Amino acid sequence: MSEEILKALMQLFAIIAKQDVGLSTNEREFVENFLRQQLNESSVKEYLALFDEYVGDKKASENDNDQDQKPKLTSVKDSVKTLGIAKKINKTLTQKQKVVVLVRLFELVNSDKKFTPQRMAIIDTAAEVFNISKEEYNAIETFVVQEDASKWDIPEILIINSEETSPEKAKHISSPQLDGTILVLRIQSVELYFLRYTSTKELLLNGLPINNLKIYLFARGSVIKQPKGKPIFHTDIVSKFLSDDTSINVHFKVEKVHYRFPNGHIGLREVNIEEQSGKMLAIMGASGSGKTTLLNVMSGMSKPTTGSVNINGNDLHEKNELIKGIIGYIPQDDLLIEELTVYENLYYSTKLVYRDLTDEDIEGKVNRVLFNLGLSHIKHLKVGDPLNKEISGGQRKRLNIGLELIREPAVLFVDEPTSGLSSRDSENVMELLRELTVRGKLIFVVIHQPSSEIFKMFDNVTILDDGGYQIYYGNPVEAVIYFKELDNQINSHIGECPSCGNVNPETIFSIIESRIVDEYGQPTSGRKVTPAEWYEHFKNKISINKITGMFDKLPESFKKPNWLNQYKIFFTRDFVAKISNKQYLVLNLLEAPLLGFLLAFVIRYIEDPTSDVYIFRNNDNIMPYIFMCTIVALFLGLIVSAEEIFKDRKILKRESFLDLSRSSYLCSKIGILFILSAIQAFLFIIVGNYILGIKGMYFEYWLVFFSLAAFANVLGLNISSAFNSAITIYILIPFLIIPQMVLTGAMFSFDKINRAIGGGQEKVPIIAEIMPSRWAFEGLVVNQYKNNKYYEDFYSKRKLESALYYKDVYYINELKRYVEDYKFRLASGHEEPISADDLELLRNEISKEHESEFTQYHDYRFDYFDKLTPENFNSEIADSLTNYLNRVHEFYRDRFNFVNETIDQEIVSRTRTPEMEEEYQQLRNNYHNRYLASFAKNEMAPLPVVRLGNKLVQKSDPIYLDPQNQRLMNFRSHFLAPRKHFAGNLFDTFYFNLAILWIFTLLLYLALYYKLFSKFIFVAENGLPFLRTKLKSTKNKIQDFLIKQTGI
Amino acid sequence: MKTPVMTKKTVTVSLMLSGFILLFFMACAPDRREEATDLLSDRDISEDIQLTDETIGEIITSVPNPVEMTVLLQRSNVVYTQDLLNPTANINNYNTNFKRSLNLGVYGTDLVYMNIYDRTVATLSYLRNVKNLAEDLRIGQFFDYETLNRLSESSRNVDSVLYITNRGFDGMSNYLINQGRSSIAVLIATGTWIESLYIATNVQIHPPNKELIHQRIGEQKVVLDNLLLLMSNFRNDEQFEELFNDLLDLKKEFDKVSIQYIYEERTTKVVDDKVVVVDNSRSEVNIDDEIVEGIAQQVEYIRNKIVE
Repeated sequence: MSEEILKALMQLFAIIAKQDVGLSTNEREFVENFLRQQLNESSVKEYLALFDEYVGDKKASENDNDQDQKPKLTSVKDSVKTLGIAKKINKTLTQKQKVVVLVRLFELVNSDKKFTPQRMAIIDTAAEVFNISKEEYNAIETFVVQEDASKWDIPEILIINSEETSPEKAKHISSPQLDGTILVLRIQSVELYFLRYTSTKELLLNGLPINNLKIYLFARGSVIKQPKGKPIFHTDIVSKFLSDDTSINVHFKVEKVHYRFPNGHIGLREVNIEEQSGKMLAIMGASGSGKTTLLNVMSGMSKPTTGSVNINGNDLHEKNELIKGIIGYIPQDDLLIEELTVYENLYYSTKLVYRDLTDEDIEGKVNRVLFNLGLSHIKHLKVGDPLNKEISGGQRKRLNIGLELIREPAVLFVDEPTSGLSSRDSENVMELLRELTVRGKLIFVVIHQPSSEIFKMFDNVTILDDGGYQIYYGNPVEAVIYFKELDNQINSHIGECPSCGNVNPETIFSIIESRIVDEYGQPTSGRKVTPAEWYEHFKNKISINKITGMFDKLPESFKKPNWLNQYKIFFTRDFVAKISNKQYLVLNLLEAPLLGFLLAFVIRYIEDPTSDVYIFRNNDNIMPYIFMCTIVALFLGLIVSAEEIFKDRKILKRESFLDLSRSSYLCSKIGILFILSAIQAFLFIIVGNYILGIKGMYFEYWLVFFSLAAFANVLGLNISSAFNSAITIYILIPFLIIPQMVLTGAMFSFDKINRAIGGGQEKVPIIAEIMPSRWAFEGLVVNQYKNNKYYEDFYSKRKLESALYYKDVYYINELKRYVEDYKFRLASGHEEPISADDLELLRNEISKEHESEFTQYHDYRFDYFDKLTPENFNSEIADSLTNYLNRVHEFYRDRFNFVNETIDQEIVSRTRTPEMEEEYQQLRNNYHNRYLASFAKNEMAPLPVVRLGNKLVQKSDPIYLDPQNQRLMNFRSHFLAPRKHFAGNLFDTFYFNLAILWIFTLLLYLALYYKLFSKFIFVAENGLPFLRTKLKSTKNKIQDFLIKQTGI
Repeated sequence: MKTPVMTKKTVTVSLMLSGFILLFFMACAPDRREEATDLLSDRDISEDIQLTDETIGEIITSVPNPVEMTVLLQRSNVVYTQDLLNPTANINNYNTNFKRSLNLGVYGTDLVYMNIYDRTVATLSYLRNVKNLAEDLRIGQFFDYETLNRLSESSRNVDSVLYITNRGFDGMSNYLINQGRSSIAVLIATGTWIESLYIATNVQIHPPNKELIHQRIGEQKVVLDNLLLLMSNFRNDEQFEELFNDLLDLKKEFDKVSIQYIYEERTTKVVDDKVVVVDNSRSEVNIDDEIVEGIAQQVEYIRNKIVE
């Protein structure tokens, strides 16, 4: 309490005390005691002096003759003063503290039982200024002032006494050995509890004796201990007040559950548990005894091999859709999103759970839960990771529990809630859970080495032993007795320490696991009692109580938000988390433009050593730049996404109970990543293209960069959902990127790679067809070459020119050569003047020539096409063929000249005047890149035409060559084709390749949705044992079926 | 999360995505922009060819090879200077077939000049220019760039380089003439000739050899007449017309040169036991410094116009 408040309080006390009859000794004593509770000895004196000063000199005189004094009205001066002080308090104290102040004021007056109108008027004024409701004011008054037991019967009060019968309105707890009455007042608006005791008998509140004249704040976790009889916990009292909360009554039954791991090991053997709402059960056992397995089976995450788990008669593993909403699971690890604040973590979880609530309702709910968890004061702190702590371990754990509490599941599973926490934090957490049971929750807790305090909090405990044997089920304290008896120990009937009430759960485990001692006194590895023997004892001695009665119907379905809303929530949650991680954001947004700058600046090459003017046309590095764009896009895309799902996996596990849509989660992830990638693409391209002077292509570059990064995003999500460690994921990245680099077509020509994988063929090797990098790269190169502002006017003519040139210079000459060879060999008396293969080639090529688009413009046909067979081919046919080829050749030559001249004329006309020439030159320098052109025209190809099998394939000018043999569904083509063929149509390569990229992305999304990667890895890892068990179970099923059918 | 079952939503999402991709296809549907086949339709070939291709070929062959002039210069101890050559960066300015052909000749001459003077490093960029221009003109197949590149690495291979270069140029002109593109062959020859004349008229020549070189310059009068004959064949083209007129101006300068054919009796003599007839006739070229200066100016004018 601050100095200022204390001063204000002293003033208030003084004003009340000096009214009418004035200060009494009792009142002064009260003030002194009050100060003593707050302060050390020296300060007490100081403030007491202050109090006396405020009361004034009235004290001395009035003390003597208070009997004679007539009651006076409250002076106006005092009323004004009260108002002033109360307002001052209003500004600094929370509502809770104000309630406490009000109670203290009542207490002050009560200390001497002088309830004069003047005094009450002042308290009234204070209460009014404090905004305390009339009902609560009256309740406080009743609670503090009333001595008449019959007046206590109001709903705000709980009465604890030895009577059996309950009062009408007030809550009641019967404690047979209690002397007198304990009154507990609940101020609902601030959720505060006050306590007072009417008897002078010894009673301990948190270990300190209770004074019957005082009023105590009954804080969370408090316990009242009486010399005889059961202690009364805070939770017991709270539960009375909250018992009218609507929560469904649950009957949870685990029946003969067996569990066998996929690798064949037995995890659980015939485990039985039966519990109902309002209980807390501990699952204990040595490590490896199957505690967590049991928890997983009970919570529906693993399906038992045999046996069943029932909730109110519904099989959890059959109708998991139905039951998911009422089960909560708190795993051992944190489920928090580290980048979000305490409040935000809870807020988004809440939004995911409640469809119908408005934002204000959700805010209210979240604040209430935070308050109940004692986390209000840190709600705006970031959670942070465990190494870089912002909030303590206990607070993290409580927040984790809060995430589940917010949706109020009827059954809660908690895995080792106290591990890694201090004993104080552990107790806090367990008390929190205990409190939940009083609200009607059923809680299962896996716990390891609980302290005595915690151990006693459980209603029941079940103990598992190695190999999944259930060896105990029942009351925790009795567990100690049970095992002591079986171990034939002295004092075996005493469960807890008679003097201190401690129970040592360790005793149980030292009995269970005690070893046989050899003749030297050394413990051996053998156990005195094996798990199977313990299990026999358990079966014989302990029977599980059957729970009967009516149970509520389970709620039909959970009120989760629809797909779109889930998407929105996931999206905002992720977005806020990303935004709040400054480092992540800055790095990701700076990375792209920096890389773009670095790359472009380094390769901004000026060819002419004597000049300083950068000319795009002469920059050797545009093709490598495009290549690097694809690699950077892949890298950035993978890196931002590779850890996304992996990071969330724990949260996903928890949210699996919420029965949320996976696709909405994935789409929200993808949405955020796409936005990030789009921004990165934008920054990279705008910097890179600007520096390199790639004009008028920003959008196309951006689109390809973004599409490829988007592909990489989804690929990254796939691996991040499939692998279980960050290091594996990062090891995998080079494996995903390097093949893409190699098979882009930029580093190694497809003509010059290993023939075993399709190198040097007509089409792009199949292995490169599945490389998105090559589709992106090809799309950009083709687009840069043919759709730039300079070249788009010429492209179609150049294409025609190229086709004619190829025919004229290479193709027809090549065909002629075969005929010439034939003639030469024939003349020199060769046995086989022409091979069948060569004839086949001629047939193929002439037939292609007959179908060529050029045949519309000439009518030269080879009439003896049918004679191009080994039997029929002779010198006459050869002459006729030569003749045909000559004529076609002439046609091509003629048309080539014409097209070439036409293009030249156009250039001439565009460069008529020096100004026009300058303009033309500028256009060419700014938009056309020589080296890219050389690459696109495959000028480095060793041969312009090659023989593949019995066909001739054009290798020169791929950029001008439309895909050959366009069969219906064939979409494959040679590298750098200007257009792509599919389903009888030709499409611009740029858009076609983009479409392919997005198809890849879509396929990967489906793989992600159906978890194909993780399934694949699972099969790869567990292949044999998995198949074996599958086989076995199928066999069993068939047997069962046969038995049923045949009745044998 | 829901276990991966194809829910209605996924179906919708997949359908939507597939729809987008389909749209993609439709948006860029059948792309016919690339067709320029109207150029293939029948057309009138109305070129006013007066000379046959054969004649053109013969005349082009008569244009002297730049090697002769350069070797002469070198033997006359003329100092090498690269400043005279057409800068390699100029290649960026050549956009039309006309310019490309002329400058292919110019760079060809420069290449020869450099090779003879053993300037191997700079030679490579001239070699590349020759190759690039040839490719732009669609006659690149006659240049074995790889081999030339390799040979140029050592000055011992000068002979081979020159041989291959010459063969390349000869091949190109033959091919062009056969191809019906003789105008280009004529321009290449003109470029070659102008450049070698330009070099010859611009180098510093020391007195003892001056006479001989001036004689050689004067002899070009005959070559120019032949070139003009070729040029006149293509005068209907604006660009040819301009060049033709410039060459006519040059002819005016050359007209000041007089060439006298002096007839002498043939004599016989015995060489290695064989009788050999020796033709003693010779032409006498009358040329003075002033005429050379006049020619030089006009050549420089034409040449600078070509390479600009």
